[in-house]
Amino acid sequence: MEDLNKNNPFKTPEGYFENFTDGLMDKLNEEKFNLPKVDGFVVPDDYFDDLHKIIQGKLSEETKVVQLHPYRKYYLAAASIAAIAVIFLGFNWNNTGEITFEDLANIDIENYFESNDLGLTTYEIAEVLPIDELEINDILENQFDEENVIDYLNDNVDDIEDLNLEDYE
Amino acid sequence: MIAESDLVSQLKDSNTQSKAFEVLVNTYKQRLYWHIRGIVLNHDDADDVLQNTFIKIYKNIIGFKGESKLYSWMYRIATNEALSFLKKKSKKQGISNEELQNQALDNLQADVYFEGDEIQLKLQKAIATLPEKQKLIFNMKYFQELKYEEISDILETSVGGLKASYHLATKKIEAYLKDD
Repeated sequence: MEDLNKNNPFKTPEGYFENFTDGLMDKLNEEKFNLPKVDGFVVPDDYFDDLHKIIQGKLSEETKVVQLHPYRKYYLAAASIAAIAVIFLGFNWNNTGEITFEDLANIDIENYFESNDLGLTTYEIAEVLPIDELEINDILENQFDEENVIDYLNDNVDDIEDLNLEDYE
Repeated sequence: MIAESDLVSQLKDSNTQSKAFEVLVNTYKQRLYWHIRGIVLNHDDADDVLQNTFIKIYKNIIGFKGESKLYSWMYRIATNEALSFLKKKSKKQGISNEELQNQALDNLQADVYFEGDEIQLKLQKAIATLPEKQKLIFNMKYFQELKYEEISDILETSVGGLKASYHLATKKIEAYLKDD
């Protein structure tokens, strides 16, 4: 009995199920839609006759404008920079409120840490830094080649053999 | 009629560009106009968008790689131009897209370039209630009578999806007209 069920003798035409939804939607969309087939929009008389000339005219106008003001983009760039400078200065002059931590740019914070002694022990730093999630490349700005590391160690370590590097190869 | 690939080559060649552009405009101006008009409704707006569409086509034809058909590419530019035109216009007037559309529909009755009767006006109001994509599909299929394969190329949607969207759109329009 099981074998009979498994060997289904009925077949469908090739691609029947793939095209079924499409065919069904076609049938549904064939139903008469009892509405006007024109939308009622019209255009002015002879509108399409001169359209090409109007567009060509616009294109040549644009070209002319570019030729008459070749430095316009530089003026605009200069004006933008001047405007940004004025806004920036105006903002700083008018800003008499107390400065909060949020007002500091990240770069200023980084500069402060770089140029000031933190006064924290390595253990204190380790407590606040999620060391487990850090990769060496997260700390280093520029990656360096292994060759450079070996050169550095050769120059700066008295006896490179003491490092037992081969144990880690 | 000139083959599409020849026309594209001529448009990219500075010696033949001008003449080829004239052929391009004359071949597609009506089809693109009615497509745009169905979106923006008003003739002056459609004229603006159509001119900008052709200017964009002229300026960007050099980058046209022929990965899709030229007419699909142009329809896509026209659609984007029309939709962004409406967005800019509503922003300029400080109103929503829907409000702008209702305004355009109200103005249709007084528009000298709309000769539709009451049922055609109602149909436009019903179309306006559809989501943006269904609206595009309905207009392209029902009024412009484009093939599903062509719409599929333009809107980059599967034919099956288009058929389902068109069916939904017609049902919604019917329901709107019955309730109205």
